[in-house]
Amino acid sequence: MLQMNNVSKIYRTDTVETHALREFSLKVEEGEFVSVTGPSGSGKTTFLNIAGLLEDLSSGTYELDGRDISKLNDRERSKVRNEKIGFIFQSFNLIPELNIFDNVDVPLRYRGFKAPERRKRIEESLELVGLASRLEHMPAQLSGGQQQRVAIARALAGEPRFLLADEPTGNLDTNMADSVMDLLGEINSTGTTIIMVTHELTLATRANRNIFVRDGSVSDGPGDLQLAAVAG
Amino acid sequence: MFRYYLRLGILSIRANPALSALMVAAIGIGIGACMTIVTIQYIMSGNPIPEKSDQLFHVRVDSWDPAEPYDEPNEPPEQLTYLDATALHAAGRANRQVISFLSSRVVQPAGEDSKPFQTQSRATTADFFAMFNVPFAHGSGWDKSADDTQERVVVIGQALNEQLFGGENSVGELLTLSGEPYRIVGVLDEWSPVPLFYDLNNNEYNDPAALFLPFSVAVAGEHGSAGNTNCWKPIEDGGVEAFRNSECIWIQMWAELPGEAEKAAYLQFLDAYVEEQKLVGRFPRPLNNRLDNVEEWMDINEVVDEDVSVLLGLAILFLIVCLLNTVGLLLAKVMKRTKDISLRRALGASKATLFAQYIVEASMIGLAGGVLGIGLTWLGLRGIENLFSIFEFVQKLVVMDWVMVLAAVALAIVSALAAALYPTWRACSVTPAAQLRIQ
Amino acid sequence: MELGPIWRAILRNKSSYALIALQIAVTMAIMVNAIAIIQERATQMARPSGTDEDNIITLTSVAFVPDADMRTMIDEDLALLRGMPGVRDAIATNSFPLRSGGWSMSLSTEPGPNSDGIGTAIYFSDEHAIETFGTNLVAGENFAADEITWNNREVSTWPATGILTRALAEELFPEETGSLVGKTVFINENDPVKIVGIVDRLQAPWNGWERVENSMLVPSRRDGEFQRYVIRTEPGMRDEMIPRIEAALAANKDRIIENVRSMTEVRERSYTGDSAMITMLTFIVSLLTVITGLGIVGLASFSVSRRTRQIGVRRALGATRPEIMRYFMIENFLISSVGIITGGILAVALNIYMVQEFALTPLAWYVVPIAMVILWLVGQAAVAGPARRASGISPSIATRSI
Repeated sequence: MLQMNNVSKIYRTDTVETHALREFSLKVEEGEFVSVTGPSGSGKTTFLNIAGLLEDLSSGTYELDGRDISKLNDRERSKVRNEKIGFIFQSFNLIPELNIFDNVDVPLRYRGFKAPERRKRIEESLELVGLASRLEHMPAQLSGGQQQRVAIARALAGEPRFLLADEPTGNLDTNMADSVMDLLGEINSTGTTIIMVTHELTLATRANRNIFVRDGSVSDGPGDLQLAAVAG
Repeated sequence: MFRYYLRLGILSIRANPALSALMVAAIGIGIGACMTIVTIQYIMSGNPIPEKSDQLFHVRVDSWDPAEPYDEPNEPPEQLTYLDATALHAAGRANRQVISFLSSRVVQPAGEDSKPFQTQSRATTADFFAMFNVPFAHGSGWDKSADDTQERVVVIGQALNEQLFGGENSVGELLTLSGEPYRIVGVLDEWSPVPLFYDLNNNEYNDPAALFLPFSVAVAGEHGSAGNTNCWKPIEDGGVEAFRNSECIWIQMWAELPGEAEKAAYLQFLDAYVEEQKLVGRFPRPLNNRLDNVEEWMDINEVVDEDVSVLLGLAILFLIVCLLNTVGLLLAKVMKRTKDISLRRALGASKATLFAQYIVEASMIGLAGGVLGIGLTWLGLRGIENLFSIFEFVQKLVVMDWVMVLAAVALAIVSALAAALYPTWRACSVTPAAQLRIQ
Repeated sequence: MELGPIWRAILRNKSSYALIALQIAVTMAIMVNAIAIIQERATQMARPSGTDEDNIITLTSVAFVPDADMRTMIDEDLALLRGMPGVRDAIATNSFPLRSGGWSMSLSTEPGPNSDGIGTAIYFSDEHAIETFGTNLVAGENFAADEITWNNREVSTWPATGILTRALAEELFPEETGSLVGKTVFINENDPVKIVGIVDRLQAPWNGWERVENSMLVPSRRDGEFQRYVIRTEPGMRDEMIPRIEAALAANKDRIIENVRSMTEVRERSYTGDSAMITMLTFIVSLLTVITGLGIVGLASFSVSRRTRQIGVRRALGATRPEIMRYFMIENFLISSVGIITGGILAVALNIYMVQEFALTPLAWYVVPIAMVILWLVGQAAVAGPARRASGISPSIATRSI
């Protein structure tokens, strides 16, 4: 499904070179639920950006669904993001001036679906997250948990092959966080691959594999131990 | 506190230099366009003789064609026939009265090598100078006796005196005009009323004529009128004499009437005169005599050019666009700063202090726009001067006095405050907490 | 493509968008009416005077010696001028087209006092007038040399013949389909004038007069001290002839020569107000368009920077760069359209008002769509920069914490 080999990402300013990722390698199989943890500044977000095709990589190879991503131009990358990846962000990132319906509609528009198809998908995905009755609401009228559910509905509406979640519960209280995590679990059980970046190790236990990142590389750190503990 | 607001304002202006420059430019350009036209309109419609404009009356009697009025809907002609002008003047029923027409003479300076040149002359009667408060540098006007005896006397303007006599006192000198000798009795001081209210039928922005000479002399010498002559009835055969007895209008008349009573009495006198003339078969139209004071007469003659009115209207709309522009930019600035504002609110800023802060900032932009506007007004006036450069009179219309400078600054600040009102209100209605939440 | 959501997003933020729309609307109203006025003035200025303007010189001769023998002076001057090499022909007249001063009379088809006469300018001259002005005789014939009379200032006897412009003749005899040569009209109420010839065009001296195409050549000269000479030179020789003519006429010291001007200069003076109006309005409209354009740039930049995160999210969700750019272009198009349509209504209303108040020619229908297209293009051009910047925003903004 997803395979990174020796991926490096270097940010350059005039004087400093920062190696955000170095020789990063990872393989994720179809249907897995992988959590990526690590301390602040370890390169989690850079990994997420590269995995989600939000940023270019400096060296190495990245294959998604059998395609070499580094060779794609901007338009093709946009198309991959649109069709194959669903994003869930820490700060939900709903568009404040659009109502719920139009928010879920955004990726479907770029997908080029016809209106009836879009309506069907929007309603189905909002149904799935339990917000089918709030089509006309504006994001500001919803609680944080509801906003994140809308964001998940938006991510799912395009039926992506895998979901990229970035601290999906970072702005939520425990109850809401649990329900969001339950939802992700359900989604994974239907066969959607999920990669979740988080700094909370407790959340990582919900995944069936954890990757621990330190200094821009996959480390044999506590992640595996935790996971082993859970497995045990 | 005010200095703190000033500092915040400067910071905010500096934070968005391009945008602040755009706002200042928009206000400045709007003010510049508006004030350029307003200045011209202000000069065109200025009162040229404020001290007695309500005592000077232009005289009209309706001697026109029975079949149609001189001008719709029922305006009497703006000038008088020779018969009526001389009769009304001779009657002397007003405190002062003046009849006149515009003509021209060829001035022949003394000395072999000086070339003769043509200049405008005004044929008028003795009261002209006292009536219109004409300032003299040397000498004075002529006596009424000069009118009666057709004495060849002349009053010359300052510029002509400068040209012919180097600005010396030339009273008593002889001046040859179109081959005839005239004795100079007076030299005017600088005098150039704008508009030239006593003769609005010719170019109302021209300078006064350089020569003033007795009406009786001009008539006897057959000086042709340089103004309009209009006739509704054919002139009988018989040359100049027939023309003077005709119904052609070509002479302007003014009367000085210090009060309402005098005005009423004079109007009565005019009516009686017309009734008398009707008996000998003249004045076929219904009684329709008019006395209009200087400002009324300027209104009737629409001294402000129609193009200026059109331009003024467009310039005001132009300013409105510039202000809408500023409102939009200020509003955008506020919306971008909502977080900053709600933080300030959370830290204890009241609506009033926020209001003051934004108004101070807007005033600074307004002031800068006003200063720019004054500069652009000056440029605009130079531009107009340039467009009309072949006409000397334009120079009188493109002068900016301190009233206009102050008006420009005031208009700029008022405009900027008006533009700031809505954005400031929006800023003040930002709630302290709402914007601090993560969106 | 995504008109619906864009439009709904605009409605969420009405006030700032309404301001741009209003600004565009007022700009449109000004632009349309300014173009209408410019067009009206340009049309007036483009009217031919009916003379060979490129080769004509005009001047004023003022005699100042009392009791000068004007008739002899004029005859001598004309003989001198007509004999000069480089001069094609010359006349003495009371006025000429575009001079802004002259003599007008009323002509009727019936004798006697009546008020429905038709106004016309009168040019007192001789049989050289047609050749000197360079107009074309389209019917009838020119005056004969022996018909020319003298008249004094008051013109007590009117000649019995006249040459009319076609516009004047047709206005006098609107029903007549045959030749108008030989018809009689009445001047000064009762004096008959036989139409002996018709010229295609010779404007009256006042360019703003509603009957500017009406003029009549009269076979008589006036012997007053003011004379206007019109001189037509051989093609291309006008400018070199001016000093030569001045020098030749200077020999006679009993009068002065003034206002020596080419017809081109006479035209410029005559239309100074109109051409200044065109310049000022063009300037105002251009400046206004620039300001409105800059306003759009400013607001769009704000809008882009305020929506940076949203743009990143859209990119993350699969929007391509052109799609982001298109979003802002479409947004601007929608706002502009509201402004332009409101502006169209405003423009027409303002025009109706100005037509009533200032007697302007009503707006030509096509000015409105032209202004619409201009403003649409200005809006699109103005928003292109900020939109391009928006499309360059990286999708990784979406994962950045605030």
